[in-house]
Amino acid sequence: MTIWHPTDDGHADLSDHDSFTNGVPHNTFSRMRREDPMAWCDGGQYRGFWSMTRYDDIVAHNRNTALLSSAHGIRIEDQSHEEYLARRTFQEIDPPEHTITRMRVGKAFSRPVIERFEQTIRTLCNTILDRALAKGEFDASRLISRQLPMRMLGQILGLPDKDLDWLVTKGDQLIANTDPEYTDYLLDKHDTTAFRLMPFRSPAGYDLFEYAKKLRRKFQRPEDGQGVLGLILQPDSGGGTISDIEFRNFFCLLVAAGNDTTRYTISASIHALAKKPELLVQLQQADENAWKTATDEFIRWASPTMHFRRTATRDFTLHGRKVREGDKVVYWFVSGNRDETRFDNPFAVDLLRSPNRHLAFGQGGPHVCLGMWLARLEVRVLLQELAKRARRIALSGEPEYLRSNFVGGIKKLPVRITMK
Amino acid sequence: MARITWKIENEDDVTLDVREGLTLMEAATDHDIPHIWGECGGCLSCATCHVFVDEKWFPLLDRIDDSEDTMLDMTDVERARTSRLSCQIKVTPELDGLVLHVPVPD
Repeated sequence: MTIWHPTDDGHADLSDHDSFTNGVPHNTFSRMRREDPMAWCDGGQYRGFWSMTRYDDIVAHNRNTALLSSAHGIRIEDQSHEEYLARRTFQEIDPPEHTITRMRVGKAFSRPVIERFEQTIRTLCNTILDRALAKGEFDASRLISRQLPMRMLGQILGLPDKDLDWLVTKGDQLIANTDPEYTDYLLDKHDTTAFRLMPFRSPAGYDLFEYAKKLRRKFQRPEDGQGVLGLILQPDSGGGTISDIEFRNFFCLLVAAGNDTTRYTISASIHALAKKPELLVQLQQADENAWKTATDEFIRWASPTMHFRRTATRDFTLHGRKVREGDKVVYWFVSGNRDETRFDNPFAVDLLRSPNRHLAFGQGGPHVCLGMWLARLEVRVLLQELAKRARRIALSGEPEYLRSNFVGGIKKLPVRITMK
Repeated sequence: MARITWKIENEDDVTLDVREGLTLMEAATDHDIPHIWGECGGCLSCATCHVFVDEKWFPLLDRIDDSEDTMLDMTDVERARTSRLSCQIKVTPELDGLVLHVPVPD
């Protein structure tokens, strides 16, 4: 039994968030990779854009920030310069400026530092799974997948537990700003002009800004902040310190970016275990090496960050297509991760796949996911603890997908889990 | 061209003739050499292309700049005296015969 079949007709409108509500329109991406690897796409309410869908093309261009810049927005949405300046984080800045900020925060997310959290994560997983599995039948997305990254956010930033649910709800309103279940201000349906200077043009951005402002008042010196917040308050080698706006925007980035992506990866993994019970058996017999390959394979399979966009700084030609200066170019990582020329049998979950140089973290460029080691650790430990307890995982209803062409995956996953 | 050798604990050595101008990270990832990931494409964001340069060769390389030095504090296997990020070393004919040791995480 296969885990999942795409249902699109091969010509989905990639600018339309509704094209993603039955899961990723992979028939469209497969056709594009085959027939039109640098495809011009209608932008709906925005300017049109180029879709880059092949693995090799994404890897070849992602590091070339002089040609394809992040400094005009990183999603399909068009931004004025004023909006860009108010909302930008270091995700929206090119090297060499980007490198300075990245180095400032890199250490806190480096593998050796993150691995110190393994026991903390395992303890959190035990609490989360004990509570969820006792119910027998439940929404795994809400009771398992959402819980772990949310609680780890508190650990990493040193924030009180009582604030976490509120913060993650606000983070969801930002990233899931195209799904009516998460926000009353749909980016593509409502007039969001009033929020144009807020992250994701969302009123939730205002609430998070206010929270960040209060936090900033408390955290003036490096020794005031714990973990990551302490690190970003450190002066850089030139003696410069982070500005209030940089602090505020970076805080919002951490609240939003680290949460939903790991959540959707965990949900995609549990979905795969429910549809293919032999994968659960394989996990229960996995040794240390198998856990490493399995974790990255689940992350490739999930590919929750479907795209990031760049802007051409000059004219260039690719596959006979003439890209003009100022054109938007979208890297569809979710398509690169199903590229048949790079991955054998890309639509299968192969827990022993190796090498597995996937693009789920935006590999190949300076903006590769800062939290990738944390994400890998959370996914691995959660699945290890789940595999220890679960005898059988079955769907008890149909999964529901987020309405978004940006970050997405299964938002509701009704399951029945029988314990050992 | 320069002949470069990667030595990996408990695995066969890999020796490649590498084109001038490529970085050692690019040569390694093109050939799927284990434990060398180069996840940021050589942009100094990730420290996943760490190598120990053979003692003999280390003094012959260009010196480490401040950015690389900062990133070397974020490697998976702890840095040592001859640690380098292989994305920062471009292949030249003078590197013919270079030997690298690949750090293997626990």
